[in-house]
Amino acid sequence: MEATKFTQKMVDCSLLDKGTASPFSPGDKRRGLPQWDKDRCIRCGICYLYCPDGAVYRTADGYFEADEKKCKGCGICHRECWFGVICMELEG
Amino acid sequence: MDKYSLMVPNFLPCKEYFDIKKNNACPGCGISLAVRHVYKAIEGLIEKATWEAPAACDLFGKKSALSIMKVKKDKAEVVICFDNEAGGKLEDAIVKKMPAVAVAQGYKYVATASPSYPFDLFDKVKKAIETEGKSYIHILCPCPVAWKFEPETTVKVGFKAVETLAFPLYEVGSGFYNVTIKTMQPKKLAVYLTAQERFEKLTAKEIEQAAATVEKEYGKLVENVQAK
Ligand code: SF4
Ligand code: SF4
Repeated sequence: MEATKFTQKMVDCSLLDKGTASPFSPGDKRRGLPQWDKDRCIRCGICYLYCPDGAVYRTADGYFEADEKKCKGCGICHRECWFGVICMELEG
Repeated sequence: MDKYSLMVPNFLPCKEYFDIKKNNACPGCGISLAVRHVYKAIEGLIEKATWEAPAACDLFGKKSALSIMKVKKDKAEVVICFDNEAGGKLEDAIVKKMPAVAVAQGYKYVATASPSYPFDLFDKVKKAIETEGKSYIHILCPCPVAWKFEPETTVKVGFKAVETLAFPLYEVGSGFYNVTIKTMQPKKLAVYLTAQERFEKLTAKEIEQAAATVEKEYGKLVENVQAK
């Protein structure tokens, strides 16, 4: 798979230059919301550990979910989970 | 699945102090991730922590374009520098002078940390606020926008910085000089540089020179460690 160039991919996101994030409220411009596949999750919490915005929280049954008000759709949780439990789903 | 009892968040305070409403960070920001874990480490002191804006702060007598956070507790005085290499020069990316300056100026505890190793970062900040006198922590925060990489690889780029020895994690205090994350088989420096699109124009020769510099710097660090 050919990697998409950074600048091309960021066109549909808000950021084209340094320090341009604030007028756009980055939370509204996400590229997708992470979805958890609970069957494969071992509840280790790595996704929780690496989320830069503290959007991942633990539910009562011990699994994890993202708070859609906080998640910016960066995809770090998707990349860091060892079992590939999380996939990024595009919204509407 | 109850047989898995290793739950990572058990080792950290679970409360989130990092307020999403007050930050305008980009998706995948390394600084957000670092600040989030620093906040967990300085629980209860967050209100007292002061920030100095980039470009205006005064670090070791030099103007620098980095965000600085200062925390005070009793006799401890901690300066935490969130370095996202806004300058964008290759020399700045491979050689960090500030920790060495801090050691030379007699800081009691000096450490380098990376948000890709949150527990290491957490321990270092804890140690710093418990050390009497001045402490300095230099945190390398990968920045997807300035370094030009995919936001989802922020943590991976942080790992690469440490694994290629470009940014070794160490701590210096009274009586100890440790490399805290030991890399058994260092990767080639090119792995770290080519992960960032800002360095895509570098020639093979420049990368080789940079690798030699990194090796020399790491040699110095190892000498310091052995001298203690
Ligand atoms: S990192 Fe993956 S396996 Fe671990 S808790 Fe998160 S989703 Fe589950
Ligand atoms: S996509 Fe990014 S912001 Fe959203 S939950 Fe995952 S790590 Fe957190």
